[in-house]
Amino acid sequence: MRIFSTMIYREMKRFMRSRARVLGSLINPIIWLVLFGKGWAGAFNFPGASMIFGGVDYMTYLVPGIVAMTVFNMSFIQGITIIWDKQFGFIKEILVAPASRGEAILGRITGGAIMVMIQGVIILALSFLIASGLKLSGVLPALALSFLVGLAVAGMGVAIAMRMSSMEGFQMIMTMIMLPMTFLSGAFYPVKTMPEWMQWLAKVNPLTYAVDGSRYYLAGVAPTFSLTTDWLVLAGLAALFMGIAVIEFRRATID
Amino acid sequence: MTYAIEVENLVKKYGDFTAVKGISFKVRNGEIFAFLGPNGAGKTTTVHVLTTLLKPNAGTATVAGHDVVREPMEVRRKIGIVFQDPSTDRELTAYENMYIHGRIYGYSGNELREKIEMMLKFVELWEFKDRPVKFFSGGMQRRLEIARSLLHEPEILFLDEPTIGLDPQTRAHIWEYIRAMKEEHSMTIFLTTHYMDEAEQLADRIAIMDYGKIIAEGTADDLKKLVGNDVIYVRMEEPEEGIKCLNAEFIRGCRIMPDGRVRLDVQNASEAMPKLFELAQKNGLRILEVTYHRPTLNDVFLHLTGREIRDEGGEQKVARMIMRARMRR
Repeated sequence: MRIFSTMIYREMKRFMRSRARVLGSLINPIIWLVLFGKGWAGAFNFPGASMIFGGVDYMTYLVPGIVAMTVFNMSFIQGITIIWDKQFGFIKEILVAPASRGEAILGRITGGAIMVMIQGVIILALSFLIASGLKLSGVLPALALSFLVGLAVAGMGVAIAMRMSSMEGFQMIMTMIMLPMTFLSGAFYPVKTMPEWMQWLAKVNPLTYAVDGSRYYLAGVAPTFSLTTDWLVLAGLAALFMGIAVIEFRRATID
Repeated sequence: MTYAIEVENLVKKYGDFTAVKGISFKVRNGEIFAFLGPNGAGKTTTVHVLTTLLKPNAGTATVAGHDVVREPMEVRRKIGIVFQDPSTDRELTAYENMYIHGRIYGYSGNELREKIEMMLKFVELWEFKDRPVKFFSGGMQRRLEIARSLLHEPEILFLDEPTIGLDPQTRAHIWEYIRAMKEEHSMTIFLTTHYMDEAEQLADRIAIMDYGKIIAEGTADDLKKLVGNDVIYVRMEEPEEGIKCLNAEFIRGCRIMPDGRVRLDVQNASEAMPKLFELAQKNGLRILEVTYHRPTLNDVFLHLTGREIRDEGGEQKVARMIMRARMRR
């Protein structure tokens, strides 16, 4: 467990040192919450409007979606920053160490997911200030779901990054993947009222299950899928992508 | 006699390209052994195989008594390495880099703290311990990497081009550390370099590597004996014409250098010089400038390959043309 905890320590130190970047990365979700959320909350303020959103006001409906989106984005960035470790050579320090490589990369991913969690907590805390219908009791299970998202997506980021040699083009991939995945996750509007082809895409989008589950815990909206499905899908994906990351990292040599 | 490193017919290929073409050598316990050769000779590839980062295509390599392919973990426990390219975490401080390294190698608590202090003081970075590495100069980063590679008290230390890109003062400073390590810890050090002075200054024994092969091995003095003579450089008005006339028993070899000077191999420069002037006068040659020196490792490399060790890219073509123009007797 030595290298596992050491890698978490490293992520923590890097996180602390990049405080400005961390705060900067919170601006995006805050814009969504305040400008997008408050704007639509006014428009959806008519009798019966809450029926569209599972019985809650729009702000409350939106918060779990924004949290899931933020966690998703940041975990992916956490994962792919291993490219810097490759470029700046820190990877070699790990590869030549007399310690389990699998453990090292799991520590890297877990550490990343924990730091993303901290950002998630900040967003949630801010959300409680502007959305009235959120349930405090839902915070822990929602964070647990987010943690699974963090593990899965950071794992995916590492697996992708291990096959790439530079950050070039990543910005494009990010926007190309992130935006449609967010819109197709039910973060902004219900999956049930989407056109059928969109519903179909929403079902293969892992983010949908994170939004669905945390919306139940935080806002009390009845889940579109069953809670068991939400948990199993996210846990399964976390296991899958971490597994792939471990295999890739074990095989890693330097060129 | 036991050896720290034993390598037998080691081959490493990248696709169609063979970087290391079946080399064999042995490094004795407690010595500084240097791989000297131009860039692309296969030095770093060899280091990566010996440090278990690359698997060889053929041959065997034993480091600290363990096979690098079959027992990589045992090898990793006993070696320290300073890579050619930086491998520190730039966002973290010097202390944090050391701390992470120590934890990975199984140290903790007071023992680790004391070791970090000792090593950072050894490389004179203790006062900068809380500064993020990205603010370090190239020399400071190198020193930190040396301190880090020593933290877990390795039996064998690999230094891949330890002073590449550093200014002369910093280089001399790092040489001092390397000598001190060898003396104080009786450590075996495997060093790669393309600086001849570095190999000569530090190494007990040197293997000269070129195009994936070891072309000579021995102490600096052994290697210089391969040239077997002194070297005189002569600048003449018409070197192409002049070189044809320099036919005399006391001249063992001569060739035109890329800079236009003529290089003469002689047994004893002090005795040969008057004879040279006599010869030139007889043939009506005008000598503009004469220098001479004892053979250096560069002369050894030139003697063995026909190229200078720093030849790279376009210059190699020139060197090959000069080889063709070389006179043989």
